Amino acid sequence: MTAIVLAAAVGALFALGTFLLLRRDLIRVVWGLAIISQAANVYLLAMGGIAPATADSVPVLAGHGDHVPETADPLVQALVLTAIVIGFGMTAFALVLSYRVYEEHDTLDVTELGDRE
Amino acid sequence: MTPVGTESQLVIAPMLIVLVAAAATLFLGRHPRARAAVSLAAGVAYGLAVAAIDWYIVLAPGAPGIATYQVGDWPAPFGITLVADGLSAFMLTMVAVLGIGSLVFSTRHLPGGEGRSYYFPLFHFLSLGVTGAFLTGDLFNLFVWFEVMLMASYVFVAYSGGPQHTRAAFWYVALNLLASAVFLLGVGGIYATTGTLNMADLAQRLADPAAYGLEPVPVVGLLGMLLSVFAIKAGLVPFQFWIPTAYRAAPPQITALLAGATKKVGIYAIIRLSFTVFAGAEVAVDLPLPVVDAAIAGDSPLPFVGAALLVMGAGSILVGGIGAVGRDSMEGVFAYSSIGQVGFIAVPVGIAATTVDPALREFAIIAALVFALNHTLAKGLLFLAVGTVRSATGTSRFADLGGLAGRSPPLAIAVFIASLALVGIPPLSGFFGKFLVFDVAARARAGPVIVLLLVGSLLTIAYATRMWNRSFWGARTDAVDAATIDPVQVGVLAILAATIVVVGIGFDPVYEFAETAAEAALDTDAYVDAVDPQNASELGGSSGGDH
Repeated sequence: MTAIVLAAAVGALFALGTFLLLRRDLIRVVWGLAIISQAANVYLLAMGGIAPATADSVPVLAGHGDHVPETADPLVQALVLTAIVIGFGMTAFALVLSYRVYEEHDTLDVTELGDRE
Repeated sequence: MTPVGTESQLVIAPMLIVLVAAAATLFLGRHPRARAAVSLAAGVAYGLAVAAIDWYIVLAPGAPGIATYQVGDWPAPFGITLVADGLSAFMLTMVAVLGIGSLVFSTRHLPGGEGRSYYFPLFHFLSLGVTGAFLTGDLFNLFVWFEVMLMASYVFVAYSGGPQHTRAAFWYVALNLLASAVFLLGVGGIYATTGTLNMADLAQRLADPAAYGLEPVPVVGLLGMLLSVFAIKAGLVPFQFWIPTAYRAAPPQITALLAGATKKVGIYAIIRLSFTVFAGAEVAVDLPLPVVDAAIAGDSPLPFVGAALLVMGAGSILVGGIGAVGRDSMEGVFAYSSIGQVGFIAVPVGIAATTVDPALREFAIIAALVFALNHTLAKGLLFLAVGTVRSATGTSRFADLGGLAGRSPPLAIAVFIASLALVGIPPLSGFFGKFLVFDVAARARAGPVIVLLLVGSLLTIAYATRMWNRSFWGARTDAVDAATIDPVQVGVLAILAATIVVVGIGFDPVYEFAETAAEAALDTDAYVDAVDPQNASELGGSSGGDH
């Protein structure tokens, strides 16, 4: 069940991101890129594998030397954390750049910008 | 666990040097002289560190040939592994030569006003990303170094601050953000399929999927996703469209690095992943191609890689060559020319991936590496020359140039040598690059490829001649007459030109180095042994891949 929900969410996010990416408004393009990188993150998290919930699978380790409960795959979480930070920085940079584009070209319309060779 | 010896420390040395330099120059923002001095010192130290890696790890008699550094002493595959072998060392050397040249050049001519204090930190971060990408032994870490390299290059594309530059930077950022997302998809898929991201562990698991309970078929498609990302970085057709605008927008001494170093990161990643990591994957491949009456078949993902690279390389040679003939500025010609030249590198790599003959495979990779070396030296020199011309005359458009040869003979001679190297005239380094690529195509009995390479070479002659005629010969224009040409910049160009000649005349050791690099690229076992993930995986049990 979780797998289906996750798959649908990833698909929907990619669809939305692609739709926004193809808009004429530069800001929407930036949002599209941000959503696509978030979709990649959700996908990455799902790639760690989805285990059915049991009483034993809690994310807290009880204490030193105790029985170690089952935990979710920590590697993908580390990867996603890194990817989120990079994606956040890049989105901020892209927004600043689009502001500069607006200042210099007085438009955020992608088609108009493309014509100004 | 591998003992931490001197060789092991050497592996991380170049990265530490540029990282410290980046931080130091960031704090020296108010002191331009100190900034330049620290940068030059870092450049020298970087060169020495790379030379030490070359000698003590790869080339010296009795050298181990490969050394690893486990960051934080976490054993592979749990920690991040840095690996220096022949291939990494060859790429690092290439980049170090050009990087130091570009650095010296930058101390003389810095474009941009208020952004100047960030120039050197960004330069070092760019070098850090490139160095890290060459040295890392972990797939996700490769992604991180790509991002480090890209972030610095984004700023450089927007650096000069005009409306076109900002626009060029935006397209460049948008394209690469998308590419990063695709990279993550590939990485995630590979992790889900194999349960590891350490390259050595990956190679080991894929070579014997049954022992690890893996179903390796999906890696063919996932490798395809990664390849498309690397092709964007390398600027192969159909991903070449960003190159002309971005190369025109960045300062010329940075464009020299973009063409000479970051492009080679794409090539390096293709070679490393296809041959060292994925070549051993046992996947039965059989894809009939009804139109040309052939089939892509084999027992590893390599035939797919080879077919894709051959098509992309062929497209690049044609698009780059034809595009370069019609440009109206020096950097425009060189930008298209580097699309074409990367095609010349991709074609032998493609032949290496399609052939089943191990000797030809090794020879084809040697050819690609030698060609890449020549491209880094010659194209790097030419972009730096654009910088000299632009800082002296204020323009690099053919319409405003002419008679540069009479105005500055040393500059003209350096550009002439680099252009001849691009064309492939003996005894320059370019001759051997081109000769080996033709030889590979002949040995593979690929008639159409030879025709294509010939067409590409003719186009190279056409655009190099046109560039020369339009800017260095002819009547001297006002802009050229009023020019003051910086002697230090010309000195850097002269040294690079001399390097091209020396590499051509003393080609034997260079060939041996390239041979060592190609052997390292193909020797998966040595790579796996050096990183040694087996030990650790047994300790930790199966850390994934069991879902």
